[in-house]
Amino acid sequence: MNALSIGQTRAGGVCIVTLSGRIDSTSASDVMAELTRLISSGEKSILVDLGAVLYLTSAAFRALLVATDEAERRAAKLALCNLAGHVRELFEMGGLLDVFAIHNSREDALKQLGGPRAP
Amino acid sequence: MTRPPGLIYAVDETPPRAILIVSALQHIGLMAITLIFPIILAREANLSRIQFLDLISLSMLGLGVANICFCIRTRLIGSGYLCGAAYTAIFLGPSLFALQRGGLALVFGMTVVGGIVQVALAPLLHRLRALLPSEIAGLVIAVVGLTLAGLGVRYGLGISPQQQKINPDYMIVAGISLVTMTVLNVWSKGYGRMFCVLIGMVVGYVVSAGLGIFDLAGIVPEGGLSVVRLPRIQHVGWSFDPVLVAPFVVASLAATLRAMGDVSNAQRINDADWVRPNFASLAGGVSANGVAVIFCGLVGGCGINTYSSTIGLSGATGVTSRSVGYAIGVGFCALAFIPPLALVLAAMPLPVMGAALFFTAAFVFTSGLQMITARMLDARKTLVIGFSFAMAVVADLYHEALTEVPNVLQPIFGNGLVLGTVCAVVLNLIMRIGVRQQVSIKLPPGGINREAVERFLSEQGARWAARRDIMRRAIFGVVQVLEVVGDPPGGVEIEASFDEFDLDIRIRYVGALLTIPERKPTPREIVESEQGERLLAGYLLRQSADCITAHENGASVEMLLHYDH
Repeated sequence: MNALSIGQTRAGGVCIVTLSGRIDSTSASDVMAELTRLISSGEKSILVDLGAVLYLTSAAFRALLVATDEAERRAAKLALCNLAGHVRELFEMGGLLDVFAIHNSREDALKQLGGPRAP
Repeated sequence: MTRPPGLIYAVDETPPRAILIVSALQHIGLMAITLIFPIILAREANLSRIQFLDLISLSMLGLGVANICFCIRTRLIGSGYLCGAAYTAIFLGPSLFALQRGGLALVFGMTVVGGIVQVALAPLLHRLRALLPSEIAGLVIAVVGLTLAGLGVRYGLGISPQQQKINPDYMIVAGISLVTMTVLNVWSKGYGRMFCVLIGMVVGYVVSAGLGIFDLAGIVPEGGLSVVRLPRIQHVGWSFDPVLVAPFVVASLAATLRAMGDVSNAQRINDADWVRPNFASLAGGVSANGVAVIFCGLVGGCGINTYSSTIGLSGATGVTSRSVGYAIGVGFCALAFIPPLALVLAAMPLPVMGAALFFTAAFVFTSGLQMITARMLDARKTLVIGFSFAMAVVADLYHEALTEVPNVLQPIFGNGLVLGTVCAVVLNLIMRIGVRQQVSIKLPPGGINREAVERFLSEQGARWAARRDIMRRAIFGVVQVLEVVGDPPGGVEIEASFDEFDLDIRIRYVGALLTIPERKPTPREIVESEQGERLLAGYLLRQSADCITAHENGASVEMLLHYDH
């Protein structure tokens, strides 16, 4: 029920990772593995779209933080977009809104990351 | 807070000066109607014309201070909304009783006691919310609406207890005044709608003067009137009587409920997404009410309360700006020192009062009904509201028969609003027996199924008609705890108990106590180890629940997540 699914598209030089469903300890490792793989493969701009995420737990936050750390070490950019409702609330509760590069919409994020307009 | 579409000037906006002044005048005109209560008291006390003028002026000063107290937005005092003040029938019964027993000094002294009761109740409102839910506040508002409508009809038609006949002149004035207000409110826009009541009242004054109903000379002091005059407090003194504590406490409780209802209504008018009242604002409003009542008692006035009609007026006109409240306060303070204007308001023709009361009663009554039905009414609430509403109406229908009850109960049975309020509070208390519901689920060891827990809580929340946002937070909390405790050897037991105001989740397992830090872990701590992730989990739990505790009993651990509903 509402298991995590990970989608991937590209907009110019930006790799967009779309997450949907729940991200908890059982699925957070998949997110971390996918993002680390993209960074290791040389991606320089990664946008994680959280618009379809139902909720996330501390394990998910750790996965995103580890990926952000890894991106910084490899001079890549990792940003998040479309935080809505309960997901945004959780970022606020954890005091993590300032820790990540967060954009309101995919379009805003692509402008900042230097890619073309969202399809 | 989402702005409702009909609002022209919202609570934090300041209208242009001309609109501000005319809006304030309109409210002043409406509030001045309630000077009838200190006037009744003055007449019963046989005050001389000059003492009468002093009492009216000091009552206006009380209105000025009260209006400012209600509107300010501080931590301890003030609702932060345009919430008008007015003298109220709630305190009239106890005040007349006090007048009989010990004169005006006892009225003023016991009024101070009533104010102190309200100030004492204000910080406890959140704890007492189960006893004073918003549907009871809605009931109080609806009953006030009915009472205002009844008064409006009586004044508008010139009916008095002595003479149960319609006065045709009064009917003409009230009819023209009411039609003016209604037409402007429904079929006009802009200034016409905003100032419909004021324009209707001015029209009423003019027609009254034409028909000889407006009689200013009857209340002007023998020595004439000076334009500016400092009101004297020679008639003011204070005394106390333990016998009167009970009626004044009941009146204060009813006034508190009305203030809660009015402030909730003001919040609702300003927020299209309103679901439940903001208690900080309610407590500020009630403490402001208490301070205002104390002030009125000290300067020689009678009990004051929030005024449902002004909330109805602000909803009808779309002007809910707090600045209007300050302007009203300043206006009344100024009027207290200008006797000619004070007397013009005090001499407002009865049919004009009737039309304004009847017009605003429509908005007050429907606001009360909306507050009652904002939450789902189950059988318990239906009976609480239905019985209490009926009792409030019965008290007015069978007023004579109810005067037979013992003296100590007179203040309760002698006033429909007080009887309805007491009935609602007592019935609500009784109906809470067995209201708490409890369910539990045991998760066996060997692979804790978090999805099953999520499904269980979601379905239970739907059965309880619990708020979705609260259930979502609770589900997050449980899943987060389960994630951290892993798969303990004896499994996990989850117990959820719910009533309308509280959701408590108890999680029991055998294992280590979860750390719930007050300090947010740094991103570095979270990234570097899984212990950092556990700290983040504990921190998220502390932030998402309204209260969280964890106890160790030998090897077993019990965590309690509490959510206000």
